[in-house]
Amino acid sequence: MDSREEAIYNRSLTAMALVGFLSFLLLSAYRKPVTFLPFYGALAFLTVVFLGYFFTGWVLPNSDKFLFLLSSFLAQLGLIMLCRINPELFKRQVVFFALGVGFFILISFFTKYLLRLELAPFFYWAVTVVLLLLPLLFGVEKGGAKNWLVFDGFTFQPSELAKITFAFYLAGVLKNGRIDSFPRMATEILTVVGLLAISKDLGGAMLFYFTALIVIFVATSRPDIMAVGCFSAAILGVSGYYLFDHVRVRIEAWLNPWKDVPGRGYQIAQSLFAIAEGGYFGTGLGLGRPDFIPAVATDFIFSAFAEEFGFLGAAAVVLMYFLLVYRGIRIALRLQRNFEILLAVGHTVMFGMQIFTIIGGVIKLIPVTGVTLPFMSYGGSSMVMSFASLGILNGLWQSALEGEDDDED
Amino acid sequence: MYELLAQVMKFLLIGLIYYFLYNFLKLMVLDLYEERKSSDETDYYLKCEDGREFPLRKVTTIGRAKDSDIVIDDPYLSSKHAMIYKRGRRLIIQDLKSTNGTYINGRRIKKAVALREKDVITMGSRKFTFLRREARGLERGSDI
Repeated sequence: MDSREEAIYNRSLTAMALVGFLSFLLLSAYRKPVTFLPFYGALAFLTVVFLGYFFTGWVLPNSDKFLFLLSSFLAQLGLIMLCRINPELFKRQVVFFALGVGFFILISFFTKYLLRLELAPFFYWAVTVVLLLLPLLFGVEKGGAKNWLVFDGFTFQPSELAKITFAFYLAGVLKNGRIDSFPRMATEILTVVGLLAISKDLGGAMLFYFTALIVIFVATSRPDIMAVGCFSAAILGVSGYYLFDHVRVRIEAWLNPWKDVPGRGYQIAQSLFAIAEGGYFGTGLGLGRPDFIPAVATDFIFSAFAEEFGFLGAAAVVLMYFLLVYRGIRIALRLQRNFEILLAVGHTVMFGMQIFTIIGGVIKLIPVTGVTLPFMSYGGSSMVMSFASLGILNGLWQSALEGEDDDED
Repeated sequence: MYELLAQVMKFLLIGLIYYFLYNFLKLMVLDLYEERKSSDETDYYLKCEDGREFPLRKVTTIGRAKDSDIVIDDPYLSSKHAMIYKRGRRLIIQDLKSTNGTYINGRRIKKAVALREKDVITMGSRKFTFLRREARGLERGSDI
C-alpha cells in the first residue's frame, strides 16, 4: 500500500478515536452519579479496533482496511447511541463487537480454503432451509417474529447466518452465467422466502427475495426475469395485504400513521417525531428523548441517531453505508471467477437491501419491517454475522490480489 | 452545565464525523483514479527501432488495418497481426494467426506468451522493444 493511503487511514483512525473519546466522556457525565463506565467501555472498544487494525495488517498484508475501519466507525456510532439509551446493552454490545472482529479476522483468513471446497449449491440451500426451519420448530417469539433460538440464557437468530449460506447458494447455482433449471431454482428460492414469511419475518423475506433477484440479474443479464420477479413481488405483496392481518397492519401504519397514533401508527409516528425534533444539527447527545420510540435499541436506532446528531449526522451515516456498498462492488469488479464475483455481489446486495429496508422503514419511505441496521443496531447475531460477511468480502479481495500476483500464463 | 457542554460538543462531533467521511471519500476518489488508469493505460510501452513509442493499453491490437491501436504500414504485416492484453499485472502477447508470424527474442510464438521487460518483438521487418516507464509509478495520483 502506498504511503498516501496509509496517511489517510491514519488520519481517519485519529478522527475515529477523537469522536469516541469526546462522546463517551460526555456520556460519562450524563447520568447523575458520574460513572466512568462509558469511558472504560470506549477504551475497550478502541483497543479492539486498534488491535484488529494492526493485527489484520500483520497477518494479511493486503487486507482491506477500508471495510474494517468504516464498519468499526459505524459500530462506534451505534455504541454511542446504545450507551446513551441503555448502559446494560452497551456493555454486551462491546463484547459482541469484539467477537465480530474476531470472526472478521478468522473468516478473512479462511475464505480461500472455503472457496476451494466447492460444495454443491444444493448443500448450501439445505443448510439455509434447516437454519430457517429450526426457529419455526424450537424457536421463541420476540417482537412479532418467531426467529430466535434460545440455548440456556443465550439467544441466537439463525436467519442472520442463513444470509451468508444463501449468498453461497446463489453464487453456486448461477456460476455458469445461466439458469440450468428455472422451475427448480424458483422453487428453491421461494421455499426460503416462504419459510421467512411463515415465521412472520417480512423484512427478511423481502431481503432474501430481492437479493436473489438482483444476483440472478447480475449473473444472466436478462431483464425479462427481473421484470417477472418484480411483477410477482407486487402480486405477492397485494395478496399478502388481503390475506394476512399483520401485513395489513404494517401497510396501513405506513400509508397513514396519524390515523391511529396511540395504536398501530405509534412506532412510526414516534420515529418521525424524533427525526423532526433533530433538525439540522440535532438536539445534542443526551438531550433528545429516544425513550419514547419503541424498539429504539434495535430496529429504530437510526431515528434515535437522527434525533441527537441531526439531519447532517444521519446523512453522513447513509453516505458511509453507501461507501461500504461501493467497496463491495469494487471487490466484485476486481475478481476473475464467476463464483467469486457472484458471492461478493450477493453479500454486498444483502447489505445494501438490509440498509435500505430499515432506514427506508424508519423514515416512512416503505412499510417498516423488523430487520436490524448492520453494525449499529443492538444484537449479537447481527453484529457477528455482519462482520463475518465482511470477512468473506475481505477474503475474496485477498484472492483477487493474489490472483494478479501469480498469474502465470 | 451538561446541556451547554452537549450543545458545544454536537458541532464538534458532526465536524469530526464529516472529517472522517471526507477522508473515506478521498480514498474512493483515489480508488477510482487508479481504476481508470489501470483499466485504460499500463506502465508499459513498445519502442520501435526508429525511435517511435507506442503506449500499451489494456488491450492493444497491432496490424496494418486502420482500426488497429498501433497501425504499422508494412507489407510483411497482416492486417490484424498480433494483440497485447493485460491479465492481472502481466501483459500477454498473442499472435492473431498472421501470415509471417510474431517472434519474441527470435523465437516464433504459437500461443499466448507473457512479456518480460526488454523483450524484442519482431513482426514482419519491424523490431519493437518492450519497456516499462519507470517514473510513472511515483507520480501516481499526485494531481488530485
